[in-house]
Amino acid sequence: MKKVLIIVIAVVVVVAIALILFFTLRPKEVEKPKVTFYWATYDGLTEEFRASLQDAFNAAHDDMEVDIVPVPWRGLHDKLTTALAGGKPPEISVIGTRWLLEFMEMDAVEEVTQYLSKSTVDNIAPGAMEAKIKGKLMGLPVAAGARIMAMNTDLTTKVPKTMEELREEAIRVRNSTDAYGIIMPGKKYTELTDFAYYLFAAGGYFFKIEPDGSYGKCTVNSEAGVKALTFMNKLANEDKVVQEGYIALDRVESHPIFYAGKAAYVMIGAWVESAMEGAKSTFKTKYAQIPGFAGHESTSLIITDSICIFKDAKNKEAAGKFLDFFYKDEWKAKFDELVGFPPVTISASKLPQFQSPLYKALGEAALNAKGWPLMDGFAEYTEIIWDALQEAHLRRMSSKDALDEAASKIDKLRGM
Amino acid sequence: MAVGALSLKHKLWNPEARLAYILLLPAVLILIAFMFYPIVYVFLMALFKTDKLGRLKEFAGLANFIEVLSTKEFWKVTGRSLLWTVTGVVTKTIFGMIIAVLLNVEYRGKKIARMLFIIPWASAVPISAMIWQWVYHSEFGLLNHTLKITGIWSNPPVWLGLPIPAFAACMWVDIWIGIPFMALVFLAGMQSISEDLYESAYIDGVNWYQKFFYITLPGIRNIIIIATLLSSLWTFNDFNVVYILTRGGPVRSTDILITSVYKSGFEWLKFSRASVMALVTFFILTIISILYAAIYFRQESA
Repeated sequence: MKKVLIIVIAVVVVVAIALILFFTLRPKEVEKPKVTFYWATYDGLTEEFRASLQDAFNAAHDDMEVDIVPVPWRGLHDKLTTALAGGKPPEISVIGTRWLLEFMEMDAVEEVTQYLSKSTVDNIAPGAMEAKIKGKLMGLPVAAGARIMAMNTDLTTKVPKTMEELREEAIRVRNSTDAYGIIMPGKKYTELTDFAYYLFAAGGYFFKIEPDGSYGKCTVNSEAGVKALTFMNKLANEDKVVQEGYIALDRVESHPIFYAGKAAYVMIGAWVESAMEGAKSTFKTKYAQIPGFAGHESTSLIITDSICIFKDAKNKEAAGKFLDFFYKDEWKAKFDELVGFPPVTISASKLPQFQSPLYKALGEAALNAKGWPLMDGFAEYTEIIWDALQEAHLRRMSSKDALDEAASKIDKLRGM
Repeated sequence: MAVGALSLKHKLWNPEARLAYILLLPAVLILIAFMFYPIVYVFLMALFKTDKLGRLKEFAGLANFIEVLSTKEFWKVTGRSLLWTVTGVVTKTIFGMIIAVLLNVEYRGKKIARMLFIIPWASAVPISAMIWQWVYHSEFGLLNHTLKITGIWSNPPVWLGLPIPAFAACMWVDIWIGIPFMALVFLAGMQSISEDLYESAYIDGVNWYQKFFYITLPGIRNIIIIATLLSSLWTFNDFNVVYILTRGGPVRSTDILITSVYKSGFEWLKFSRASVMALVTFFILTIISILYAAIYFRQESA
């Protein structure tokens, strides 16, 4: 037995010495600074583009490298918070600008301008700088776009001026064809976009905006909120003009029904053309503004995403160099074209490909659009509002009761 | 007394024991680093207020427990998790047993059948869940399309859109993935039962059902205990299926403890709340394991 013990110990010692010698005596390679970039997989963005951007940057820079890690939108927030909690954040990441306050509260992000060249910063359209907080640009805008309405002109040519007209036309299409009137995602997704369209169309918002610009009590249960949800419910459960099983389908699962030519209207973002190209859609489309309810003006939802530089990351200087590279028209304009968002850079916005009817509609929608509330904890409030919407859609609660309960829960969580 | 102490020292520190300690050391170190430290930290987070990165800020005593345990939603989720586990494990055991019996009979193509049965278990769970998500799709899905064109169900439900069908749909995917494991483990147990017993039973004129209940089942009793214990632990913690298919919806009707822990921790960054729920999960699973161990060892010693 003693012999076995001695042999085991000897083997362990020999292996340990061999490993130590290998790691200490091997020729040391100079490690290049590596920039890890969490790259949100936008609809329309291709893997070829991601790979070509990464390869082009790495080929042009011997002294640094970038690793562009594709992350689906649905998992991006969780992946980032896990990385931050583990003390290993990426150098840069695309974020929903609405997450920024949360990251600032964690003291996890830095002002981006200190790592960027002046020419890159000067080329950003001032209107896109939603992430400028107390005079500091904490996130470089990467995508900013208002939502519009796309119409399948094989099914309808009517541009509705009000929500009521939209409903009438959706009913007509549903009754006279085998297509749906309008697409309405009813399953929980990252955001509350579809409710926001109807809420804004009725002149409402998620929270009361106090005179000092801060957020007051939750107002999803306002007259506008109840009107919006009641109308959505009517479209889905009484008129039955939305896609079958809408409550089980999120945006990613329901928009393909429009791309397949089986619905007349969809409220959508700028990626519609590239997504339809990907789906090989054969019908013609027309773009219009999401209408307001009678007596209310059209008010779209504008969504901005930003790129953050994380404080605890190792290679922030290199990250700045990469962003300078990416924000040249050669790459950024191609990115904008693929995801379909209007450019956030001044130079790209003048390019001919961004002068089409789609971009004209997007530009018009942005003029009177509202964004998400920039507040800490909005992810949880979103879940509460989603639950209320689904309670009403399932007819387990009235729109008013469901939204009253949601508003009260949110106010309680916020200590109001 | 001195002899007793000496004998104990000899037992714990003889050459064989020393070799065992050396061989165990790496595993113990890994366990401490990757298992015990996180578990202890979860305990601490449950007792402290934490920031959005899970760092301990202020001692809260039992306040986090009181906050979580006093909500109706928590008890609903816990009850649903138990229902999910019991239904899942019982169904997997019954189907697994039937399939094991069928695979244990001699017939042409038995090997191919065994290979096919393992596919759901061998596939990655997220991929299986994503495939089922499309199967359940109300517009393009295979399930409703098949039900409609065959006339079996002219107006099938929107599987993932209504609370009870969504729970049943998630449940079925978990069962579908788990059956092959049960079937294979039971099959392995059945094959270890001596053929002589069946031959004697045949001579005595017993029927198939007597064979099954008096020879097969008692012969694989311990295997059933181990397999159902493992299945209970896995089913209780089956995050992937629920999260991919419904994310806990509609209206949290498919949320189980493990998905609630994830949402509280990583979506809403409420690590103290998530830790309390994780500890409840830990507590429930520990009780299940102890009960199983007690039954197993009582039978071993009998």
